[in-house]
Amino acid sequence: MNVFDYLLDGANWLGGGKILDLLLQHLFYTAAAVLLAAVVAIPLGILIGHTGRGSFLVIGLSNAARAIPSLGLLFLAVMLLGTGAGNIVVVLAILALPAILTATAAGISGADPEAVHAGRALGMTERQVVSQVEWPLALPLVVSGLRSATLQVVATATVAAFASGGGLGQLLTSGQAQSDYPQMFAGAVLIAALAILFDLLLGLAGWGVARRARPRSRTAVGAAVAPA
Amino acid sequence: MNLRRTVTVAGVSLASLLLAACGGAGTDPLAEPSAGGSASSGGGGQPVIVGSAAFTESTVVAELYAQAIAAKGVQASTKLNIGSREVYLKALEDGSISVVPEYTGNLLLNYDQDATATTAEEVEQALPEALPADFKLGSPSAAVDQDVYVVTKEYSEANGVTSLADLEKVAADAILGGPSELATRAYGPEGLDKVYGAKIKQFKPYDSAAVRARDLNDGKIQIGEFFSTEAVIPDNGYVVLEDPQAMILPQNVVPLYRAEVASDATVTGAVDAVQQALTTEELTALNKQVDVDKADPDDVAKEWLTSKGLA
Repeated sequence: MNVFDYLLDGANWLGGGKILDLLLQHLFYTAAAVLLAAVVAIPLGILIGHTGRGSFLVIGLSNAARAIPSLGLLFLAVMLLGTGAGNIVVVLAILALPAILTATAAGISGADPEAVHAGRALGMTERQVVSQVEWPLALPLVVSGLRSATLQVVATATVAAFASGGGLGQLLTSGQAQSDYPQMFAGAVLIAALAILFDLLLGLAGWGVARRARPRSRTAVGAAVAPA
Repeated sequence: MNLRRTVTVAGVSLASLLLAACGGAGTDPLAEPSAGGSASSGGGGQPVIVGSAAFTESTVVAELYAQAIAAKGVQASTKLNIGSREVYLKALEDGSISVVPEYTGNLLLNYDQDATATTAEEVEQALPEALPADFKLGSPSAAVDQDVYVVTKEYSEANGVTSLADLEKVAADAILGGPSELATRAYGPEGLDKVYGAKIKQFKPYDSAAVRARDLNDGKIQIGEFFSTEAVIPDNGYVVLEDPQAMILPQNVVPLYRAEVASDATVTGAVDAVQQALTTEELTALNKQVDVDKADPDDVAKEWLTSKGLA
């Protein structure tokens, strides 16, 4: 038995419930969950970071949320609401939320106070302070929050298979049920590869964001800032 | 620095993925067997390890066997929820378990894909020849746990479906939900097509019977595949489809021993007493106590054995 058998057999790639189909489902769950989490967590993180209020909530929430077992939550959702892509996405979004929320709040509240004061001194409104000073400074941290959230979700999206939602986790559960270890291996390799790929892409994006943030601030403030 | 972080993160993702994969079926089938014992020392108080597949009934029957054996003074332990047939048969082969509750028909098919036996008697006759030399079969029980195809009462009435032979007319629009391994079983989607000419639209694998029942009730699947002794069938009033062509083999509960354990008359005597007392109805009731009433299989088995005077 060669562990690569399942991966290398072209017949396992195309068609319903086959590798490509499951891969696309997995990507969909990951993208939708992170997007949903970001839509909720980024504005909330900005609000908390900017006002400084409710940060105890952020810490408490994120610590508590990390203890929620995704599989248990998924079964609860299925028993209460039935199966479906929507429930899986929501469960995964709950997993992704804390990382993005804490990173955003920390990024905004940690924005250089001198820059913020300078913005206010220039007559910026609160809205402008947030959008033109705090947000650009927080962006690298927000991206790193998105990065760790994405990694958690891409690995945990395997639970979708338990709710009959497909995804690459199906290769693991079906492989285990049939004692088809090459199939399980295929699932494990693809999920790991996906996680590494996402990490590299988001790492690259984070690097790009951090790099873009720096020269702009240099031109804005002038030559007084020493080059990095 | 960045690379190291990447590697760490990838490692963590892989670890959590493995955890997720193992969390599903309980015991990790890939784990090394804890107790050895492939060396046979020929009966006489040798400790017995009763294994079970990863579903309620198998667990309960394994508990019945183990406690009945222990009541006769032989040291007996359990190793429950090992996995599907492929996995626990491997465990029986390497001696990490010594006996496991099995089902006659599926056991025969596992060793002889082209078996021609269809009735319970034919299966019992064909089995001993089909089994590997170091496995021995005990006496089959009257209790039968068959794979059954079911539909909801509403679906049955709306489409006139009461038998697998009726599936032909609805198959093109029907999604079938069953355990993952059904996909490769002889009586799975392929069998429906070959025996009944029913080419179903899609097969959806489910690892949880509760999720499967939920989707059947919600109309997300039209045909469900369950075990005949699963409590979800009477509880939801599902219509069990008849099998006029005997595509699904009879599945009497039967103990499958390692040969050296089967030669121990105390052990087989204890197990046979359980086999004789067990019926399909009693088995369904035992399952229900565990699945629905959330009782411990251990306690359920103890109570039943006491009521039958077997422990």
